[in-house]
Amino acid sequence: MNAPVLELLVGGVLLGGLYALMAGGLNLIFGVMRVVNFAHGEFLAIGALVTVSLVAGAQAPYWVALIVVPAGAALAGLVLQTFVIRRLADAPLIMSLLATYAVSTVLVNAAILIWGGGYRGLPGVLSGSVRVAGVDVSVARFTAFLVAIGTSLAVWIFLRSTRTGRAIRSVAQAPELAIISGISVERVRNITFALGSAMAGLAGVLMAPTFASDAQLGSRFLIKAFAVIIVGGMGSYPGAIAAAMLLGILEVFGGYAFGQVIGSALLYLVMLAVLLVRPRGLLGVGARI
Amino acid sequence: MRIPLLILALGAALAILPFVGSEYALSFTVQLLMFTALAYSWNIIGGYAGYTHFGQVAFFGLGAYVGALLIGAGWHWLPAAGAASLAAVVLALVLGGAMLRLKGSFFAIGMYGLARVGENFALGFDGITQGGTGLYLTPADLKPIYAALAVIALALIYGTHRLDNARFGLQLLTIREDETAAEALGVRTTRLKIAAFMISAAAPGAVGALYATYLAFIDPATAFAPMTELTTIAMVLLGGLGTVLGPLVGAVLLSVVNELLWSRFPELYLGLVGVIILGAVLFMPRGIVNAVARRRWRWSAAPRAGLRRLADAVPAADTGRRALPETAPAPRAPDVSVRST
Repeated sequence: MNAPVLELLVGGVLLGGLYALMAGGLNLIFGVMRVVNFAHGEFLAIGALVTVSLVAGAQAPYWVALIVVPAGAALAGLVLQTFVIRRLADAPLIMSLLATYAVSTVLVNAAILIWGGGYRGLPGVLSGSVRVAGVDVSVARFTAFLVAIGTSLAVWIFLRSTRTGRAIRSVAQAPELAIISGISVERVRNITFALGSAMAGLAGVLMAPTFASDAQLGSRFLIKAFAVIIVGGMGSYPGAIAAAMLLGILEVFGGYAFGQVIGSALLYLVMLAVLLVRPRGLLGVGARI
Repeated sequence: MRIPLLILALGAALAILPFVGSEYALSFTVQLLMFTALAYSWNIIGGYAGYTHFGQVAFFGLGAYVGALLIGAGWHWLPAAGAASLAAVVLALVLGGAMLRLKGSFFAIGMYGLARVGENFALGFDGITQGGTGLYLTPADLKPIYAALAVIALALIYGTHRLDNARFGLQLLTIREDETAAEALGVRTTRLKIAAFMISAAAPGAVGALYATYLAFIDPATAFAPMTELTTIAMVLLGGLGTVLGPLVGAVLLSVVNELLWSRFPELYLGLVGVIILGAVLFMPRGIVNAVARRRWRWSAAPRAGLRRLADAVPAADTGRRALPETAPAPRAPDVSVRST
């Protein structure tokens, strides 16, 4: 029993890194906009599918996708923010939710029209394996983890110590005070939306070599990212990273013990339990970044 | 509005249809009634209480499975639908306490997750549900199912008409407009929200069971179809959130569009519903009913709907029945975990 435990643990941490990147972006957007972007998952799914098309279809090197896709996602996020979310700033919350849900539906169905409904893999990219903590791990997964967790931590440092990062945090915590202090809320929202969307796109690129991608990938990951945010504490960026690791490990162990179906439902049940026992989340500090 | 008269007229038309209409007309009307019932149920929690509910299909799917399994065990479809409705209400009660702590986005996504988990469970527990293969039932006669759906739909229209003028409905509207303020006024928000949630789950449970009977088949993809969810929301939004006639107008309109498109371009239909929702949100958020009634098309130009409703109600309160919500002793601290400004 010793070997699988270690393997599962490593597998869970590797998965957790991707959740951290995905949930981090979602949490960032939520913190500033107070809206969960339902299309966030589609940025990830379409990011993964574009990566497959670029690398397997157009024979571009993988690092090109690592740059092009997040940039494209940032641009798409900016378009969504400018033409949809911003116009609904004064409308009741339900309107912006329905709008992002509608955008998500349109994107999923557009992706199905373009890439078909089936799964697409990207074999042969970053192949081979390395030994990590005494466990053989594929290079693709290990790279994905390193880039994901590195980016998540870089964004955290950016939020903590740069001028723009502090502006983002102030808009998240007290928009009125931010305006009084001369911060352009509009600009901060644009930056946040672009950054969060780019993080989702990057997560998609990183997932493409290891996970089979399909158009419906987004909604499955969105629910997990949501569980991560609830467990970690809404609006808490470090909480999201910690919870991502925890839930990644939990999902892998749960999947091993009870099978795949219950394993992924487990995250949802944990989320429900957290809501009942400690609704602020593990590192819950109210609405903060 | 003379809603009761309208309901009587609708009831008469629905009663005559089976004798004069074709099988096709009957089948179309079954779908229309089904979505009307779903739309009115969604309207209670989504339109009146203002909680964006993306998980109604979870109750629908649960009802479909409970109904199908009971019918498989030898029950008649009518008590099976009743039991399915009860199961959905119990699930709403159990989940309500946890889910309704969530506001706005998080409630939406949490309920959305519930539907996907339900689908996972239906696939995973294949010893009971036959997994992806689905459950097959012996086909039942269409007309009694039609009648049951007609009764449910008309009852919901009438119920919404009553709700619109009742204290309960106004209290739900205050929750929609400002939950903290409602609580401070003494509205027992948690209790009311859970009650509204349970009421809004009852019909989807029953309709799910009736749908399974109608199809004589159910599988996870059909029971928890996102299309059902999306179409329902689009209907309410298009007709008018939190209005008495909105869901009916939206249901009729989209059912016709559905009928025209779904058969010919099934791959475009869902995306198109997305476009319809987006268009409605951006250009006509108050819905057809309100647009016709007030010629106001934008949120920014109009005062907050619920507060105006209350303000309207005060001068008209000759009987005192439409007075402001009761002031109860010692408002509870809000069990709020997200500030949703």
